[in-house]
Amino acid sequence: MRALFTGALPRTVLTVLLALVMGGVIMQVSGKDALNAYQVLFNSAFGNERALANTLLAATPLIFTGLATLIAFRAGIFNVGVEGSLYVGAFTAAWVGFTFVDLPGVVLIALAFAAGGLVGGLWGLIPGYLKARLRVDEIVTTIMLNYVAIRFTDYLVTGPFFVPGMANAMSAEVTPQAQLPRLVERSQLNLSLVVALVVFLVVAFMLRRTTLGYEVKTIGSNPVFARWIGMPVSRTIMLVMSISGLIGGLAGAGQALGVNYRFVSGFSRGLGFDGIVIALLGRGSPVGVLLSALFLGALRNGASTMEMFTRIPRDLIDIVVALVIFFTAVEIGFNWLRRRRPTPDAVPPPGSAAEPEKEGVRGNA
Amino acid sequence: METLDLIVNIAASTLRLATPLILAAMAGLLSLQVGQVNIGLEGMMLAGSFAVVAFGFWLGSTWMGVLAAILVGVALAALFAFVVTRLKANLIVSGLALNLLASGGTAYLLEILFNTSGTFSPTALQSLPNLSLPVLSDLPLVGRLLFNHSPLVYVSWLAIPLTALFLYRTIPGIHIQAIGQNEEAARSVGIPVRRRQYLALMIGGALCGLAGAHLAVGDLALFREDMTAGRGFIALAAVYFAAGRPRLSALACLLFGLFEALQFRLQLASSIPPQFFQMLPYVMVVITLAVISARKEWRKGWS
Repeated sequence: MRALFTGALPRTVLTVLLALVMGGVIMQVSGKDALNAYQVLFNSAFGNERALANTLLAATPLIFTGLATLIAFRAGIFNVGVEGSLYVGAFTAAWVGFTFVDLPGVVLIALAFAAGGLVGGLWGLIPGYLKARLRVDEIVTTIMLNYVAIRFTDYLVTGPFFVPGMANAMSAEVTPQAQLPRLVERSQLNLSLVVALVVFLVVAFMLRRTTLGYEVKTIGSNPVFARWIGMPVSRTIMLVMSISGLIGGLAGAGQALGVNYRFVSGFSRGLGFDGIVIALLGRGSPVGVLLSALFLGALRNGASTMEMFTRIPRDLIDIVVALVIFFTAVEIGFNWLRRRRPTPDAVPPPGSAAEPEKEGVRGNA
Repeated sequence: METLDLIVNIAASTLRLATPLILAAMAGLLSLQVGQVNIGLEGMMLAGSFAVVAFGFWLGSTWMGVLAAILVGVALAALFAFVVTRLKANLIVSGLALNLLASGGTAYLLEILFNTSGTFSPTALQSLPNLSLPVLSDLPLVGRLLFNHSPLVYVSWLAIPLTALFLYRTIPGIHIQAIGQNEEAARSVGIPVRRRQYLALMIGGALCGLAGAHLAVGDLALFREDMTAGRGFIALAAVYFAAGRPRLSALACLLFGLFEALQFRLQLASSIPPQFFQMLPYVMVVITLAVISARKEWRKGWS
């Protein structure tokens, strides 16, 4: 947290500015007015109450996925699987929302979030278990399981939960009392933001004030030491992956109940991946995640208006975000990432005699 | 006879569908072997798809487009290599960034350069003509199955033994394996580590460029946004499934190509949902890795 005020923040800002400048150069080269474009972008992200609400709306799932990725990062786990948890969580929440139609709103919403979080957590537990008990590299398994989740939920809404007459693959609409109340007029900003902020507080508290938080940080910074002093490393890894998945599931639930009012196949388009960007940009601090989510939300929200008014394709924002990641990844000096350069020891190349160390989290290779 | 016909058809389309997977898998295994796993295969393929269509259209020659696709793949791989070896950026993050850059970049360029979004299929651009090998292609069944394909299909077949040959029988290839197993040890015996890493990744870039080119002009002649649709990750799955071995990776690609061919055919004929086949490669990888690791742990427990 201290790092936020001693150099990390200026460097983050510099990184972002550099990416924005390069994005501007790209626009100028393509014969567009970059300054004007950024002005439009800024105005449509923060210009008035509605713009701000929409920025917060775009930031909401990113706060969840950023925190989900962050908590795993802190334990030295590279969880790329938040996207998968988000999908299964979203479907589960939507299923609760269109199945238990007789329950009162408050109960139903709580139940839907709980179910979405639970299933998301169980989804995260699969790679967590494989990593903790069998030392299977979590990066590979989580990437693979993302695709399984996306295809499987697609199957659910085209097969068993198929709704005739729908143009796209989507579930039935959740019952009205399960739809999250909106927070302001003329924007879809909804209760999900409040849930996200609660999760933020819980995660921040957990990391700073609880035994689990201490274990997470110790395992993340020195797994050998953690094992030596008798910390339950394997159990903590599984727990962290479950919590990470749970938060991912809540993100999905929030989108299903608050924005789409149903499960839409393939709806996320990388919200989980954005979580990695945010956790990186936020440099391991929950507050950093909050700010980064807001920044990315503003970019994504402003991009569509920018496209409308300046005829600059919104895909430019993806380029800018990619540049931000490159610069951050290059510049970042964080131990929890630098230490872990994934080596293919999960599957040793043929003929290799080298056995990987018997550690839950690899040390300096 | 009809069944035989169907089987030959499925087999032939398996070979076609496996082509980009095989090419990308060879790239993936080179990156795995050199210890710098490149999950940006997807992005390099997509850039290749765009390049072949754009340059093929501008230069009026699809083959020139293929050349451009290779060059673009190599350039992106060089960028990736620079970022992860010289600047020591995190591998996975850089790979993901590469994918996003390619996805956003191609969509952006599509709009800026050709004023379209979604799909770009210029009428002036022709797909690569099928290369029917003389005599061989006239053989019954086998001719249709093996010797009447788009040229890049044969290139993918050549890429398999060539990759194996390079990796196991040449000095740079053996260096690459050594670096992947222990970079410090490799450096200490005087292997030019960084140069070999560049080499492995840039050959991979060329292969991914070819893979993307096949997707775009192997059959039809068009570019569609995000047309790689996760094939880079399927190729990566094949590599992990085969533990980085060239021939086994290619075999896995053929298997995954068969899944893809089947999901088109069986969609109408059977009750197996197509998503089942789409999920299978990924599920197989997770299970394989779990089994390999479980065996390793079990052995450790006894020793």
